[in-house]
Amino acid sequence: MTIELIKAKNLALHVPIFQPSDRKLLSNPSRFLTDLYFSRTRRGIVTILDEISFTLKPGERLGIIGANGAGKSTLLRLLAGIYLPSSGNLSVNGVAKGLFDISLGMNPEATGLENIYMRGLQMGLQLREIKELVPRIVSFAELEDAIDNPLNTYSSGMRLRLAFSVSTTVEPDILLLDEWIGAGDVRFRDRVKERMDGLVEKSRGLILATHNTGLMKSLCTQGMVLSNGKMTFCGNLDEALEIYKQEQVKPK
Amino acid sequence: MNLSISAKKNRIKTSLFSILQVSLSRLPSLLYLTWFQFLIRYRRTILGPLWLLVGPALFIVMLGLLFARIGGIEPAVFVPHLAVGLITWTLISGFITGSTTVFQRGRAQILQGGMKLVDIIMVDVFSTVITFLHHVILVAAVFVFFGIGLSFYSFVSLIGLGLLIANGIWLSLFFGIIGVRYRDLSEVVQAVMRITFLATPIIWMPGAGGRGGVMGAFLVYNPFYHFVELIRAPLLGNPIAPLSWIVVITISLGGFGLAYFFYQRFARNLPLWL
Repeated sequence: MTIELIKAKNLALHVPIFQPSDRKLLSNPSRFLTDLYFSRTRRGIVTILDEISFTLKPGERLGIIGANGAGKSTLLRLLAGIYLPSSGNLSVNGVAKGLFDISLGMNPEATGLENIYMRGLQMGLQLREIKELVPRIVSFAELEDAIDNPLNTYSSGMRLRLAFSVSTTVEPDILLLDEWIGAGDVRFRDRVKERMDGLVEKSRGLILATHNTGLMKSLCTQGMVLSNGKMTFCGNLDEALEIYKQEQVKPK
Repeated sequence: MNLSISAKKNRIKTSLFSILQVSLSRLPSLLYLTWFQFLIRYRRTILGPLWLLVGPALFIVMLGLLFARIGGIEPAVFVPHLAVGLITWTLISGFITGSTTVFQRGRAQILQGGMKLVDIIMVDVFSTVITFLHHVILVAAVFVFFGIGLSFYSFVSLIGLGLLIANGIWLSLFFGIIGVRYRDLSEVVQAVMRITFLATPIIWMPGAGGRGGVMGAFLVYNPFYHFVELIRAPLLGNPIAPLSWIVVITISLGGFGLAYFFYQRFARNLPLWL
């Protein structure tokens, strides 16, 4: 019997937010200053996610589709254990890791090699693990000649190659993807695709948040539709895409 | 590592042991990370991290000579007192002022998920300690200059230092959590720390009468004094009052208890408050 990789039941997330007191769109900008002086804010609770229930079995690839602000990224953070649900149950059998911001923690003054270490440590790797991975990372990013130059001499493409190469060098157990990562010039783009496909292949399960229907169709086995934080559908991929299409057509 | 969360219990079910276990194995990596990030700031400067010494060195020399004169104390007595006091104070105030914003500064890392809350704390604590270790050079210079020798008893100050650093950990956790929810805390702390510096015997000496007299209240009821004293007194060859040990150890134990309770109770909400 296979056990579920992820099992979520009635997950909800309520978030406190601070808002300036009732302001009109065309109110005088001086209002901003007076409001700040008198700290006129109210604290409200916003429900970002509600009634999310699903299971992910080994080998399944779930695509989460929804408009901007539907709560896709927040749901991924919840699954990664960064946010904890306000109510409901969540169990994850394995390590769910996300590729959220691949260039976080890179220092422009440090060299490429130094940045590999810094980024690796911040990803939770140990020094000796990184040391073993360095040759692979450098050769994948094709930065052998520039690896000892400071990062601020790199072109943005080179930076992205390095960031991508470090971030994807460890195969995660359960992969959480917030949009597909595509980077670099044409030649590198093919290798990025290859690497990403490899990651998807090797992971025991994938959850992809996107609003790209074509990508979801080619990659996922299951579909979930999120709209305004609520799960409107979860199950068959084609049905999910159909429902999403209908939701997009009719205005709310 | 499996994750199982039931929101009903309304708290993270983590034993102190499991927190320590995960984090202890990461400590060398985190120390390395902090040290590197600390040094990289000075990459294109000529003096490098020695710049850290310039400010306090000027402070010790100028103020040391001036106040020794005003107070009519021998520079050989006053300057070492000032030097040890100053760098210890810098360590204490680094912990406290840093702790109120520690999670705000680590926001991106927390939301990325690669570093846990305890990791973020340790990076900040390490960073303050690394600064302190550089400042130790100044004290060494002062001691050599005035020909002050160390005895076996001097090493007791390492115990004081250890206790102080341990207190930095719970302080960061405790103030860090409150500081995220109430951003006022960092303002409060900054205002209080500045005046506390003057109230603590660093740029002045309690006087020949020792711990009693007019200054008594400034010493007995000032926890910072006791922390400074545990580090400073052994180095200068003065005895430590039993009260200082009692105060520091009580604060340490109480603080860790408090921080642990806050962690259990509020850490789950912390990423949402950021």
